[in-house]
Amino acid sequence: MLAVYKDGLRTAMGLGRGGKAKILPWLFIAASIIPALVFALVAGAVDRLAADFSEELDLPSHADYYSIAGVVLFLFAAAVGPELFCPDRSSGTISLYLVRPLRTTDYAIARWAALATVMVLIAWLPQLVLLAGLVFGATDPGSYLANHWSDIPRFLISGVVIAIYVSTIASLAAAFAKRRAYAAVFLVGLLILSTSVISGVADTLRDGAGRWVALLSVGDVPLYVNDVIFGEQTSSIEAASDLSDIVRVAWFVVVVAAAGTIFLGRYRRLSL
Amino acid sequence: MDVLLRAENLTKRYGSVTALDHVTFEIGATVTGLLGANGAGKSTAIKLFLGLTRPTSGRAEVLGREAGRDEQVRARLGYMPEHDCLPSAVSAAEFLTHMAETSGLPPRHARVRAADTLRHVGLFEERYRAIGGYSTGMKQRVKLAQALVHDPVLVLLDEPTAGLDPPGREEMLALIRRTHREFGISLVMSSHLMGDVERTCERILVLENGRVVEEGETSTFTEASETLYIEVTAHRPELIAALAERDVTATEDGGSLVVDDVSGEDYDRIRDALVAAGAPLRRLAPRRRTLSELFQPGGADGKDTA
Repeated sequence: MLAVYKDGLRTAMGLGRGGKAKILPWLFIAASIIPALVFALVAGAVDRLAADFSEELDLPSHADYYSIAGVVLFLFAAAVGPELFCPDRSSGTISLYLVRPLRTTDYAIARWAALATVMVLIAWLPQLVLLAGLVFGATDPGSYLANHWSDIPRFLISGVVIAIYVSTIASLAAAFAKRRAYAAVFLVGLLILSTSVISGVADTLRDGAGRWVALLSVGDVPLYVNDVIFGEQTSSIEAASDLSDIVRVAWFVVVVAAAGTIFLGRYRRLSL
Repeated sequence: MDVLLRAENLTKRYGSVTALDHVTFEIGATVTGLLGANGAGKSTAIKLFLGLTRPTSGRAEVLGREAGRDEQVRARLGYMPEHDCLPSAVSAAEFLTHMAETSGLPPRHARVRAADTLRHVGLFEERYRAIGGYSTGMKQRVKLAQALVHDPVLVLLDEPTAGLDPPGREEMLALIRRTHREFGISLVMSSHLMGDVERTCERILVLENGRVVEEGETSTFTEASETLYIEVTAHRPELIAALAERDVTATEDGGSLVVDDVSGEDYDRIRDALVAAGAPLRRLAPRRRTLSELFQPGGADGKDTA
């Protein structure tokens, strides 16, 4: 199982593969780090050059970052997740795994864990860059850290939450798609459609119904938990602000558990 | 005989199609050929033994355990599928190392085994090239290598020569024989090509429409059907008559007379007939019949199994 996990990590990052396999993952890693780098530089510059304005300016924080980079993380999972599952099935390599001392669910869990690990690293990396920028950009790094240390466990936990969510959804789509392109297109379509349609509908509905509709926005489910962790509203759907913390967390758990169960069930029933 | 595979009343149905129909057989520690036409049930039998599919009824046993139940038994099996199963983007060395690790070998040991196995199949020099750039023959050898990389007790080969040209087929068959001879690994090889099975396997199991129609040692099949060619320069009709008088049936085949199923006593009768007919002998040559002659229409048994 460890071997499948390790191979999954290498596949996700394009290691041991040709140059083409490396382009996509490293492009997404760059895409997720660059905004953090820009935020960190802007925050540092503002703090040093115009300290009086820094309090008034609404500079991006650790809490905001996932709502901005969440789309990149989702797209990354949509692009790389199917790469871990679809080629093994379409090329028949899965049959070689199934005749080895490994259950189908072991294979599926190992691949999912590899994707989730990569997603956690990609979620954390920009936050660490942002933290470094904010700390070293501050006029007094020591006092900045003393005042903001609680952001560190928050963005670490929130990163894990987002990674688990996007990995599970991407794995589920990949488990049913014949080709990785189908899974990727489905996931991107799902994200765009659900976010645009649900946010529009949720914010126009009155009498509190909008908050329940907001739960159906696929891309926002982990951001609702992110808001619970940081204690502030970062999700773009206004109606979601009416949701209680318990509902946000419970909905996240239900969606991940349901998607995970269907995903594992698919592999449990896999026969050749 | 050490029994490695055992089928007991094994049946597999796919909807209304019966792929295997209450078959019972045993396969021991040797090179065994599963011979049969497409759809005879060879691949289904292999998949049942590997636990890739469940039997409709009956029992498939591998190394004394029910097939597919014991993961540790799978660590001692190798499988070379008929279909494509190789990732194109990785090198053969990386793929084999990964497969060895998946079978439970520690990473360092897996790397060494991968290199050794690729040397065995003749791909050592090409091991760092991406598999996608390999020829069909090279891919078949990688498929065989991944089945051997974890040093299994038994390897199941599903149509190992499929898609290969004649020289490629010969190389693959030689490799299979060498694998058994040098490493002592037992192999079960399915094929619809009788020549391949005859040249490679010590035992043969013939499947037809999901049933076992023949099984035994390869030599038994061919010995039982030894054919004698007699060529004389004159008095051929007299010789045929003299043979008939001695209960030996000879048929004309071009310029020769052919006597089928020759036993030890027949040689004495043929000698006497030659003397009686006064036929000058040019050539007397025994020839074992091939499996294709045995199982094809017009063969000794008149069977059409493959």
